[in-house]
Amino acid sequence: MPLNDELQQQLIKDLLIESTEGLDRFDREMLVLEKGQGTPETLNVIFRVIHTIKGTAGCLGLPKIESVAHVGENLLDTLRGGKLTTTPEMITTLLAYADALRAMLNNLENTGNEGSADYSILLQQLQDFQTGKSPSSSAAPAPAPAPAAKQTWGLFDDESAVPAVPVAVVASIPPAPDAPPSTPSAPPPPPVLVENAGVEKEGAARGHSVSDSAIRVDVGQLDKLMNLVGELVLARNQIVQFTNQAQDATFINASQRLNNITTELQEGVMKTRMQPIGNIWAKFPRVVRDVSLELGKSVQLVMEGKETDLDRTIIEAIKDPLTHIVRNAIDHGIEMPDARRAAGKPEEGVLILRAFHEGGQVNIEIMDDGHGINVARVKQKAVEKGLVTPENAARMSDRESFNLIFLPGFSTAEKITNVSGRGVGMDVVKTNIEKIGGSVDVHSEAGHGSTIKIKIPLTLAIIPALIVTSRSERFAIPQVSLLELVRLEADQAKKGIEMLYGAPVYRLRGQLLPLAYLNKELALDPSASAPAAPGTTDARGSEAAAVNIVILQADGRQFGLVVDEINDTEEIVVKPLAKQFKGINCFAGATIMGDGKVALILDVLGLAQHANVINEVRDRSLTDKVKTDGRASDRQTLLLFDVGAGGRMAIPLSMVARLEEFPRSQVERSGSQEVVQYRGQILPLIRVADYVRAAAGADSQGGDLMQVVVYSEQGRSVGLVVGSINDIVEESVTVKRDAAGDGILGSAVIQNKVTDLLDVAAVIRSADPSFYRAEAGAAPDLKVA
Amino acid sequence: MPIKTIITVDDAATMRKMISFTLKGAGHDVIEAGDGVEALKTLQMRQVDLVLTDVNMPNMDGITLTRSLRALPQFAHTPIVLLTTESSPEKKAEGKAAGATGWIVKPFQQEQLLAVVSKVLGI
Repeated sequence: MPLNDELQQQLIKDLLIESTEGLDRFDREMLVLEKGQGTPETLNVIFRVIHTIKGTAGCLGLPKIESVAHVGENLLDTLRGGKLTTTPEMITTLLAYADALRAMLNNLENTGNEGSADYSILLQQLQDFQTGKSPSSSAAPAPAPAPAAKQTWGLFDDESAVPAVPVAVVASIPPAPDAPPSTPSAPPPPPVLVENAGVEKEGAARGHSVSDSAIRVDVGQLDKLMNLVGELVLARNQIVQFTNQAQDATFINASQRLNNITTELQEGVMKTRMQPIGNIWAKFPRVVRDVSLELGKSVQLVMEGKETDLDRTIIEAIKDPLTHIVRNAIDHGIEMPDARRAAGKPEEGVLILRAFHEGGQVNIEIMDDGHGINVARVKQKAVEKGLVTPENAARMSDRESFNLIFLPGFSTAEKITNVSGRGVGMDVVKTNIEKIGGSVDVHSEAGHGSTIKIKIPLTLAIIPALIVTSRSERFAIPQVSLLELVRLEADQAKKGIEMLYGAPVYRLRGQLLPLAYLNKELALDPSASAPAAPGTTDARGSEAAAVNIVILQADGRQFGLVVDEINDTEEIVVKPLAKQFKGINCFAGATIMGDGKVALILDVLGLAQHANVINEVRDRSLTDKVKTDGRASDRQTLLLFDVGAGGRMAIPLSMVARLEEFPRSQVERSGSQEVVQYRGQILPLIRVADYVRAAAGADSQGGDLMQVVVYSEQGRSVGLVVGSINDIVEESVTVKRDAAGDGILGSAVIQNKVTDLLDVAAVIRSADPSFYRAEAGAAPDLKVA
Repeated sequence: MPIKTIITVDDAATMRKMISFTLKGAGHDVIEAGDGVEALKTLQMRQVDLVLTDVNMPNMDGITLTRSLRALPQFAHTPIVLLTTESSPEKKAEGKAAGATGWIVKPFQQEQLLAVVSKVLGI
């Protein structure tokens, strides 16, 4: 009964998965061994990987893999037996050997056969290690799988029944005198072995079998489940809408239960698709070793947050970009040992990979302690390659210059190295990460190294989005592209929107933003115009009442999208568009809203390209910005507010999670603390006026609505009650420390007025000393001159 | 042909699957275990007619499993066959001393596996 083809294919697939995992483990343990941190078990693990590959490949009729595996197995067995010790060359060869097995497996996966590559030199090397370098080694090199190839099976007490067994081998087994001959039933063991068994049982209890608690699931199955859960979420949303008008208590209860269970199910299914980022990091020790060895550098790899979970589709998408960044960091970032010594640094460079969750996103940082990015050289290179004009380059801030490395066609390496200069540059890295809704940023300090920060969404299946309306049709805009919302009342709109070379632009805090009108870009039916109620707008003409602008970011550039109405943010389930619509790049997908109607999801980048708003505009806006305010690198975006009479204050916008208004009637008390219910949580309130010297007791009056700045840190939030929120400005500020103390960091002149800078951390600490717990002072500080 | 229950113990899932397929094709019931510890746990709760175990496995190897099973009264006479890539006389002696019934060298053909199974089960 031969294996049928389908099963054979399935088994080969299993072999591929199993062997790939095994070889990763092989690499990992090899590196442990190389560092001299190996235990006897290390070699056993390594041996077992090859042993398994050999056994399985043999049974599946893959002679080449089997025989290559066999040669390595011999060497490993000798090592395992303690007859040989590993040398650095031997480890390098064994790693190359693992790569050879990988290559054959890859070949098998892609072409269905084992490939024709010749590994005889490699195998010879392995045999030489085994024989030549170890005179004490008694194990004979065995080029063929088993020395007794003909003798494939046997029974200990019934050898004669098996004609295939040569007598000579049988004779070499010492006969057990007390073993009664029997075929179906085995002899009872000698009593002395009972003790042994007990001992071994104890030892065995240490390890827990993975197969007890984990199962393999087909990825397609998970995708299908996720899809169904998406449908269920949509159905739930519809039912919840009915519930809002329902009177029947039983129905309301049942639908609430459905609501809760659906949410839990959704989270549960999402979790099954999550994989720790450590899965893709596992190969980095090997990459770092190989690259640094090749370049003659010494690099220590530190990995933090391996257990950080990510959706598997995202894991797949960031694998290659991350590898590229790691190679780049070693190649271009970390210096040669002598250069490091000369710079007063330890010869061994450090490369840190960090991953952590923050605000519904995953952050990945790749830090090296090399020489940093040479701003002058980056600029020079960019000019030489014609990527920027010399004038622009001269005006660029350091941060802007660092980001030049992400431009297509940019490569600073003087000569193309084997390691990172292979034509795919950082621009590909950036594009790939942005494709999944992520962003990349680079920071660098001359002489101290560079950090590349990547932010990516947790999942692509269900995303937060802003719902907008244009011509009575609803559209969803993914929140990751959203920067801010601007509403211009009729009179402001007339002044605010200017025409530049025939294109509409809006001046936002000194920066010119190109505008696109959603209804025009999508050629929406003008007759289906939004009702001319106050608060909506016909964006085309001068008769417009008010204009709603959604400020979006695409490809690092900003533009304004004019829509009729801005509705709300919602968690939407992303559904792919049918093939017929693939050519339309304005849409990223579709979703089903709570009322059962379909809304299209806008592809912000595609839309921007369609509207021609992000092509040549960049240089202009950059120039404009730089001209008005000098050195851009010192600029900060600040939120201006007051805390009552005359208390004009500012905090960096980066510290603001959200701005909210709460009616005073919603304030409740918890102990002595004022709180409000906010997004299903209790948000403690701090009246800023009570904590800053200048404005004591000044705030408590005012209208019905309290203005609250929500600040979040380490998953905890607090609401800072202020008098009124005035503006957001981007300015270069010089802070004078003289006025510091009592909740104030210092003061600066902002918009020609003296403004105090609020020390958020100090205020929160004096209101709630436990807020920061161990992370005291973790809040970002203002730059102080 | 009587239906027999056979346990296959191997840390390589592919191997288990293949053995299991072969034996099920011959009409047997097959259960699987990923290493000696798991096999021992399973076998303390149910009886089988034949144990097919790999030798080199994490947590508990096949030789130790054989010894541990032989220490249990209900497994004193159950055939235990070692599947091994190591066919050296020393290894075989070790297997024999532990109480194994026989051995099959990996890699093997399906026909061989079935022949050995029929042989030790006396069918």
